[in-house]
Amino acid sequence: MDCRNAGLGKRVTQGTMAPDPQPPGADARIRGEDESELVSRAQSGDRAAFGVLVERYAAQARRVARAVLGDPDDADDAAQDAFLAALTKLDRYDPQRPFGPWLMRIVANAATDRRRRRTVRRTEQLDPDLPAGGPRPDAEAERAALGERLRAGLAQLTPRRRLAVVLFDVEGYTHREIAEILGIPDGSVRSEVFHARRRLRELLADWKEER
Amino acid sequence: MNDRHTTFDAQPDPRLGAALRAALEPGDSAAFAVSVLARVARARASAWEVLAAWAGRGIVAAAVAALVVGLLAGPALSRAGSWDEAVAAAADANGSLPPTSLLTAAQPPEPGALFASLVE
Repeated sequence: MDCRNAGLGKRVTQGTMAPDPQPPGADARIRGEDESELVSRAQSGDRAAFGVLVERYAAQARRVARAVLGDPDDADDAAQDAFLAALTKLDRYDPQRPFGPWLMRIVANAATDRRRRRTVRRTEQLDPDLPAGGPRPDAEAERAALGERLRAGLAQLTPRRRLAVVLFDVEGYTHREIAEILGIPDGSVRSEVFHARRRLRELLADWKEER
Repeated sequence: MNDRHTTFDAQPDPRLGAALRAALEPGDSAAFAVSVLARVARARASAWEVLAAWAGRGIVAAAVAALVVGLLAGPALSRAGSWDEAVAAAADANGSLPPTSLLTAAQPPEPGALFASLVE
C-alpha cells in the first residue's frame, strides 16, 4: 500500500496538468505492517485505532464514492455508511489480506446501494458537451472547468466503469484487486478500464481543442 | 490524455489519474473523520438505548409473569397445606420414599432404594 500511495505522489509531480490539491505525504502513506496492527487493534475494540484507519482511508473512500454518486454530499454519506458497515464487519475481515481492497469493496457497495435508492441524479444531468461556464481567465478556473468536465464524463459511464478507472488510475489498485473489489473477473476489469479511459480521453481531447 | 499512455496500458496513467483525482477530491478529511467517529459513538449509544428499553420491558414482563404464576400456584399449594406435604402425598401414592427424605437422612440411603426404579 505504501508503494501505491508513494506512486501517486510521484504521478502528481510528473503531470503537467492539475496538481493534486492534497498530495499524499509520508504521514498519509499506509504502511502494511502498521496497518495490520491497527486493524487487529480495531478488531479488539480499540476505537482510536479505528479512528486512525478512518483518517487514512477517508479521502480514498470519498473519492471512490463520489465516482459512483457524483454528488459530494451523497458520496460523503455513502462513505460514512461504509465505514460504519466496516466497523460492524471487522470481525469477519481476514488480517492476512490487504485492508484497502476489503474496505473499498464495502465503499463501492454502499455507494452503489445509495445510487439505486436515489431518484434524482443531478450530476448526470450535466451536459458534458457544454463548456463549463465560458472562458476562464486563470489556472484555478481552468482546473475547475476540467474538473467539471471530468465529473460529467464520469457520469456518462456505467458505475462499474467509473469505479474501475478511478480505482486503477487514481487509487492505484491492481486489476486483480479491483476484480476482488467489484466481484468481477480480471479481464472484465481491464475491459472496463479500457472503455472508461477511451471515453474520458475523448472528452478531454475535445475540451483541449475548445480551449 | 498522455501521449505515452494508451487505453491498453496495464499501468496507471499518471496524468489522467491526477486529473481525475483533482476532479473527485473531497473537502476537509479531518472533519469527515470526526463525523464518522461521531456516528460510531451515536450508533453505540443508540444500541444501549435499545437494550435499556428492552430491559425495562423485560422487567415488567417478568413481574407480570411472576404475578400470574403466583395467582395460579397459590391456591393449589394452599389446598395441599405445604410443599413438603404435597411431595409426601405424591410419594405415598407411589409407595416409595419421598425424595426429600433421601436428601435429609443422616445415613446414606440403601443402593437398592436409590436404584429401585432401575432394577425393576
